[in-house]
Amino acid sequence: MKLNERSVAHYALSDSPADHTGFLRTWGGAGTPPTPSGAGRRCWFVLKGNLLFSFESRESRAPLSLVVLEGCTVELAEAPVSEEFAFAIRFDAPGVRPHLLAADGPAAQEAWVKALSRASFGYMRLVVRELESQLRDARHSLALRRHSSWKAGPGHQKPQAPERPSPGPENGHPVSKDCRPEDLVEERGSRPAGRGLAEWQGPAGLFLGRRQSPSLPETSYFSMLHNWYGQEIVELRQRWLQRAWASRPERENRDGH
Amino acid sequence: MRYNEKELQALSRQPAELAAELGMRGPKKGSVLKRRLVKLVVNFLFYFRTDEAEPVGALLLERCRITQEEPSGFSICFMEDPERKYHFECCSEEQCQEWMGALRRASYEFMRRSLIFYRNEIQKMTGKDPLEQFGISEEARFQLGGLKA
Repeated sequence: MKLNERSVAHYALSDSPADHTGFLRTWGGAGTPPTPSGAGRRCWFVLKGNLLFSFESRESRAPLSLVVLEGCTVELAEAPVSEEFAFAIRFDAPGVRPHLLAADGPAAQEAWVKALSRASFGYMRLVVRELESQLRDARHSLALRRHSSWKAGPGHQKPQAPERPSPGPENGHPVSKDCRPEDLVEERGSRPAGRGLAEWQGPAGLFLGRRQSPSLPETSYFSMLHNWYGQEIVELRQRWLQRAWASRPERENRDGH
Repeated sequence: MRYNEKELQALSRQPAELAAELGMRGPKKGSVLKRRLVKLVVNFLFYFRTDEAEPVGALLLERCRITQEEPSGFSICFMEDPERKYHFECCSEEQCQEWMGALRRASYEFMRRSLIFYRNEIQKMTGKDPLEQFGISEEARFQLGGLKA
């Protein structure tokens, strides 16, 4: 089976952000003999989107291997040598052996398992769909608020609409105060499709300014996806919520409540 | 670069976002148009001989450009060598538009840009980070710059 390998390797080395990187020991996938010592081979791993690449070294320019993280599960595993921080990528397909990997320590192991188990396209799509509907709701309630304040007349400030908390910087992305959200309501219909960004799926659109936007995926696209992937999404959502639930205590500690 | 064909074959059997028999011509000189079953599954485009269960090949749809070609066809080329084009022939203009739209949205990097766009817009409107409620606001894959490789 053919694959556009040169383009895949090009993507692996491109300047678009990596989602996780680090050294891991590997006991090889199909066709790789085990190392004589049994300690595995130490390689540099780069996770990009739903693709996991390995390299001989950090500086190496040619990927040794590729694993597409779709239809797989990531779980803690026992390495051939005891007391390794090992985990396995398992595929639900006949005759496919799991990929056995090991990190240098428990923190790295946890970070890798977390990053790999959230790497699928479906997970990303689920989060995008969730945010898309949240944005639609936010715009809808804003439009209602504008409507009710128009009815109340200019003399009556603060209709029954709830107060908005003042925006503050979060995650290093300061929220602009000069932005008038009202613009966005009108903007949506009239905005050109943003072909320039969409045409090259490359880095052109990766470093967006605050006022720039990628071409908005049309709502019809998402509702189409919703119908086609309805079942898959319901399942993924459940798993996602479970995961979100599982990580709650951690967050509560951090937030101090 | 080593990869397990069986893993990719398993992916090719997953539900497709779009699937149709199209005319396809590879980038090699002298390639002729062949009838192929073409399936879009996540960010991979699989193509099959019409009488075979396993795909002939797959294209990863990252860092690529989709261009309309006359008449009622489109091509895919990749950034590292834009001269190499994969040509596809559709039955109608409508089908062609459907495929081009779906392929342009099929990349993981496109999804990531959409997510960051929505996240910023929501944050500007409500003052809240929408990812916080799910405990994933710190995730590297949802940040603007991400990690440097």
